[in-house]
Amino acid sequence: MSEPPAASSEQPPESVSPLPGAKPAPTRWALVWLAVPLLGVCELGAQLWVSQRAPREAEWSAIATPVRELRKPGDLVVASPEWQGPNARRALGDALMPLADVARADASAYKRAIEISTVGETLPEFRSWPIVERRSQGGFELLVHQNPSPASVKFDFLEELNAKRAEAYTYDPKLGRDQRTLCPYNATSRVSSGGLGGPPTFPSGRFQCPGGEPYFVGVTVIDDSNEYRPKRCIWANPTPTGPIGVTFREVALGERIRGFGELPWVLERGYNGPPIVLTVRVAGQELGRFEHRDGQGWRGFDFPLGAFAGRTEDVEFEVSSSNFRERYFCFQADTR
Amino acid sequence: MSELSTTPTGSPVCDLGRRSRALDWTLALALGVAYVWVLLSSVKDLGYARDEGFYFQASKSYAQWFQLLFSTPKQAIQPEVVDRFWRANSEHPGFIKSLFALSYTYLFTKWKLFAEEGTAFRFPAMVLSGGALSVVYLWARRILGTDFRGRLCAVAAAVLLGAMPRVFYHSHLDCFDMPVLSMWLVTTYAYWRTTQSERWGAAILTGVLYGLLLNTKHNSWLLPFALAPHLLLLGSLKFWRRPLDGRRGALKAWLCMATIGPALFYATWPWIWRHTADRLQAYAKFHLHHDYYNMEFLGHTYWEPPMPRGYAPVMTLATVPTITLTLFAVGLVVAFRGPLLQGVAWLRRRPTGAWSPHFATFALWACCVLVSYGPWVKSDTPIFGGTKHWIQAYPFIALFAGVGLWVTLERLGKLMETKPLSLRRGLQVATTCAVLAAPVVTTWNSHPWGLSAYVPLVGGAPGAASLGLNRTFWGYATGYAADWLNQEAPPNARVFIHDTAQQSWQMMVKDGRLRKDLRVVWRPSDADIAIYHHEPHMLKVEYQVWVAFNTIQPAWVGTHNGVPVIWIYKRPQ
Repeated sequence: MSEPPAASSEQPPESVSPLPGAKPAPTRWALVWLAVPLLGVCELGAQLWVSQRAPREAEWSAIATPVRELRKPGDLVVASPEWQGPNARRALGDALMPLADVARADASAYKRAIEISTVGETLPEFRSWPIVERRSQGGFELLVHQNPSPASVKFDFLEELNAKRAEAYTYDPKLGRDQRTLCPYNATSRVSSGGLGGPPTFPSGRFQCPGGEPYFVGVTVIDDSNEYRPKRCIWANPTPTGPIGVTFREVALGERIRGFGELPWVLERGYNGPPIVLTVRVAGQELGRFEHRDGQGWRGFDFPLGAFAGRTEDVEFEVSSSNFRERYFCFQADTR
Repeated sequence: MSELSTTPTGSPVCDLGRRSRALDWTLALALGVAYVWVLLSSVKDLGYARDEGFYFQASKSYAQWFQLLFSTPKQAIQPEVVDRFWRANSEHPGFIKSLFALSYTYLFTKWKLFAEEGTAFRFPAMVLSGGALSVVYLWARRILGTDFRGRLCAVAAAVLLGAMPRVFYHSHLDCFDMPVLSMWLVTTYAYWRTTQSERWGAAILTGVLYGLLLNTKHNSWLLPFALAPHLLLLGSLKFWRRPLDGRRGALKAWLCMATIGPALFYATWPWIWRHTADRLQAYAKFHLHHDYYNMEFLGHTYWEPPMPRGYAPVMTLATVPTITLTLFAVGLVVAFRGPLLQGVAWLRRRPTGAWSPHFATFALWACCVLVSYGPWVKSDTPIFGGTKHWIQAYPFIALFAGVGLWVTLERLGKLMETKPLSLRRGLQVATTCAVLAAPVVTTWNSHPWGLSAYVPLVGGAPGAASLGLNRTFWGYATGYAADWLNQEAPPNARVFIHDTAQQSWQMMVKDGRLRKDLRVVWRPSDADIAIYHHEPHMLKVEYQVWVAFNTIQPAWVGTHNGVPVIWIYKRPQ
């Protein structure tokens, strides 16, 4: 290695000797130093390449047609890497990427997934699904994945949360469950979003319970504990009166009821509130309880229906907590 | 000085004659002015960051006080009057905001040199940023020499500082990050000059600069920790025997920094004129116990300790051009290999000779780097500001990079020892261009997405997005969305502006970048148009928009190299 350059000073021009003991490097080693400018040139080339690598807006606009050709009803459309989501949603819109798909609980019920792969990346979630069709389109690769074992959902509680199929209620535990107060459904409630630090948007269609705006049963979208991904779910914050519940009438049951639940993660992660209990009842009988504690994040529950399997019965979800404040519980459930 | 005037070994000489100084000062000034010109010519593309909005507001308050001071000084220094005007943003000291205020008062309001109020506020930080390049050049040429190669490398060092994408971004802003970089650098340079010349004038200047540095940002508290080891290294390590030998200049500087510094800090920050102890305590407490904001790093959002200890080194690797860091590494090895070997020999009581005459200087640079990064060794130090936290280390990285380039040119020169001077210089220029090209192109490409910019080592912006590195913060990308908003927003549209501070939005309206009829709202459900700046913990805001607008389809996506940074939803009719 070369000696450091010599000192400067306030003195007139001077020469400074190299370090004692330092030997001039052989000329042949000088070639090694070409690696430095070469690295600079390589970095320049790499910069030009990485800056052009990802598809641009015009290319995204051209992808809608082939995706539409490939997509069958019920297919899931995803973009990879995940950060391409906004580009894909802008190009494909709600028809090809509906909210229910984008904010899904999981992909287990989809038969196929069309993955729009860019920059050579694919989503880990679908790597175990065989690719049955592949198409290259500009900077994209369209991969059609087949779910090796799709679940058959018999009833999706989110999709059926409306006044025709369900009724919501709250009650005072001291008076008992028989003294319920029904929460009326309003399809045109005032839509209300929290600010930067506030709760999710309260949707227009919701069963509004007494006690204030957050005490309702309705479908919204929250951020989950897995790096704030979207989860579409049924909001059910216990009311100042007591537990909050929703009963679905005449549900065609599968083998089990399964689902997920948590609070909006950016709020839950900082809370330290009392546990929340989701009780699931079928035909008035308790099927199971799911207890959620702050910090546990998006977790699943799975209750086998046993003798109820295959029957048509009323299903009830009831959410309770020892404190109603900021118990922003939100759950997803289906029977399959 | 010509190439021929170097020593037979190729070591540089530093010509400090009048003509040579004039040339160096001209080059330094040219570098600074050119940088300010580039900043001014690119500033219109850059929206106002969240914190800028707060500083606009505070600076306007201070501007009113200055007007009062110049018109009725007795009234202005009344304690309650001082408090009324200086209470704004009192968690940060006043010097830089005073410059912002004076620039706004004179360059915008009185002399109308700037058409945009926001640019007038930003101008002082731009000048200080340009000044940093000048100082890097002046310091580097004192080490690398004033021959062709030395000056070339000194220029390169300055350019390498300016051509760091994050430095370029912060250089535009009405904030304290580049000012503290510049003030730290110039204070350290003045201190170093004092150690060389031992003049009282230089020492006093160092004290003055340190006072202004203290009044710039709290990073200044760290500077003594960088200077102390240097003080030790200036003379015999057995300093108790001959403490003054080799340290006279430095001790003069320390004395002035310890006296003039705090006095000037006090004198130039009117907020602490009253309740001094309490207010200083509050200032220190604010920064020593700062809130933890969210920051994404390698796919995870950190919002409370423990923070990742790898954050600072990884973010440096990911955002500073790799060739700059390579030259920095070469410079470090060159600077410390010899002294380290000699140190080992000295410990074995087999001294091989004197230490390099530059060792103390290199140690000072290294200490400035280490001390700047030091707080992020602790896992409870916040990381919310990204690379700006340790930004004052970057000039010293650039200086070492200059040393690295100098050695590279010296070694490559051996390939052409027998060739004509013009060819040898051509090789030097070509090599310098080769190492500067990537940083310059990367930095230019980063604009106006400075905080979204990453170097090719991590795959650029797309690679960083896949790695889960922060894509943006501070809400400044609204500036890039202005054209779309002006064209597509319905008349009198209500706009949810998300992470953009209202004062920043208002400044864009004042500057004519945004339509005046657009109205700011704070909840997506109240909006016709909703802006979203991407950070993972902010995604809940996007979900609020989805439900409120009943669509997941953005109307517009602002991308940097194809990576979405900011996107906008328009309420369906």
